This record gives sequence, C-alpha cells and structure tokens, in this order.
Amino acid sequence: MSHWGYVFLAYGIVWAAILIYLATLRSRLKKIEVELAVIDSSPEPEAARDPRTAGPRR
Amino acid sequence: MTAKTGKATRILGALALFFVVLGLYWGLVMAPPDAYQGDTQRIMYLHIPSILIAYLSFFIVFVGSCLFLWKRERRDDVLAYAAAEIGVLFTALTIIEGAIWGKPTWGVWWTWDARLTLTAILLLIFIAYLMLRALIEEEDRAAVCGAILGIIGFLDIPLIHMSVYWWRTLHQPPSILRPDKAPWDNIHPAMLVALGLNFVAFVLLYFYLLSRRIRLGERQEELRQRKLYGRR
Repeated sequence: MSHWGYVFLAYGIVWAAILIYLATLRSRLKKIEVELAVIDSSPEPEAARDPRTAGPRR
Repeated sequence: MTAKTGKATRILGALALFFVVLGLYWGLVMAPPDAYQGDTQRIMYLHIPSILIAYLSFFIVFVGSCLFLWKRERRDDVLAYAAAEIGVLFTALTIIEGAIWGKPTWGVWWTWDARLTLTAILLLIFIAYLMLRALIEEEDRAAVCGAILGIIGFLDIPLIHMSVYWWRTLHQPPSILRPDKAPWDNIHPAMLVALGLNFVAFVLLYFYLLSRRIRLGERQEELRQRKLYGRR
C-alpha cells in the first residue's frame, strides 16, 4: 500500500466511525422519543393518579 | 432541551463542521510531507487530537463519577456515562490510527509496547464500564459500580502519558509538547497549523457529540422515571 493509501484508510475509518456514531445517537434518541410519546398518549394508570398508591411499579 | 440549548448545539455542530473541513484541507493539502515518513505522517493530524479527546472524555468521566458518588445527583451520572461512551469511541479510533501509522513506519500493525498496551488496557476498562452499565438492571447500583470503575479507569491515563519516559518504548516521546523546546521549534509552522486546526475541530466535534449524548441520557432517565412512577 502506498503512503497515501494508509492516510486515506485512517481518515476513512475515523470519519466513517464518527458519522455512524452520530447516526446511532439520532436513531436511539428517536426511539426514546417514540416510547415517551406512547406513554404520553396512553391513559394514565390508576396507581399513578392516586397519591396514596403512587410509587414504584415493578 | 430548551430552544436555547438546541440552538447552541446546532451552532456548535456547524462550527465543528467548518473546522473539520478546514482541518482536512490543511492536513491533506496545505501541510508539507514529513522529511522521513513522507505523507504517512499526515495520520498525526488525527492521531494526536483523538487521544487528547479520549483523555478529556475520561477526565469528564472521573469528575462526573466523583460528583455522583459525593452528591448522588443523576445528572452527574448521565454526564459520566455519556463521556465514557464517546471516550471509548475516540480511544478505539486512536488505536486503529496508530496501527495504520505503525505499519509503514515500524513495519508492524501492533507491538506490545508499554504505551500501546496501556492504551489498550484503558479501552478494555471502559468497554467493561459500558458492559457493566448495560448488564446491571438496577439503575442506581449500575451508576455506583460505573462511577467506581470510571475513577479507577482514569488512573491509567497518567501511566499512559509517562510510559514513554519510564520505560524503553518503541512509541516516540512527545515531539510537540516538550518541556525543553517551544512547539514552533520542533515542527514546520504549516504542520503546527494543521495540527491546531484539527485539534480545534475535534474539541468542537466532541462537545457537539457530548451534548447530543447527554440529551439522549436525559430522555432515557425521563423514560425510566415515567415507567417507574407513571406520567407526571
């Protein structure tokens, strides 16, 4: 491999990895937003509304 | 995320992109080839900023972990977790760039040199950190265990930095930040500009990625709280 071959290999891997990471961040955030939207749109459970019974649901 | 922080993140992203393009142009076109290594030396414009960003990232993990263990505030844990993930990315990239640079200059992709080995150990420690965070289901326990491992992992960095002085290593000692000479006495000015531009690009890019990863961590925390306590 020529000197430029090594240079382009290094630059290619670095910038491809950073772009892939950025894309995964976006898709992970989108997935969470969808889950949050589903929770927001679903009817609130009784336990969450009643302060006497509100607490961790396991 | 407020509209103000969202705008700030976008400005940071645009600035990072500008400096990335400028850094690429200066590193690949404007900077002269090295007298001994030729064009292969251009990998340095990625290699040095990558490892410095990894150090910065793990320093943030260290600070966030100490604060979390002291005050038990979730935002410190979110910060440490976000920084650890990005630190792993940049450490892995540093090792890959080093291997690609090592092949034409040293004749090998990898050698069990003190600095290389300690950097690989740093990567493994923080991969273990991410695995631990993913595998422990109880979030508070995962955060405490992660914080302890994050603090221990950071202690590897001074060892990596000093390894070239303490042991006979194949990896060269610092050629720019030397205590006996100013940076401009060691390197061609155009190379120094290329390195500086790429460093600024990596710093801006790092804070852009970190702000996006923190945003993800905050929303994950919100989702966890809502699943535990219902809609608020």
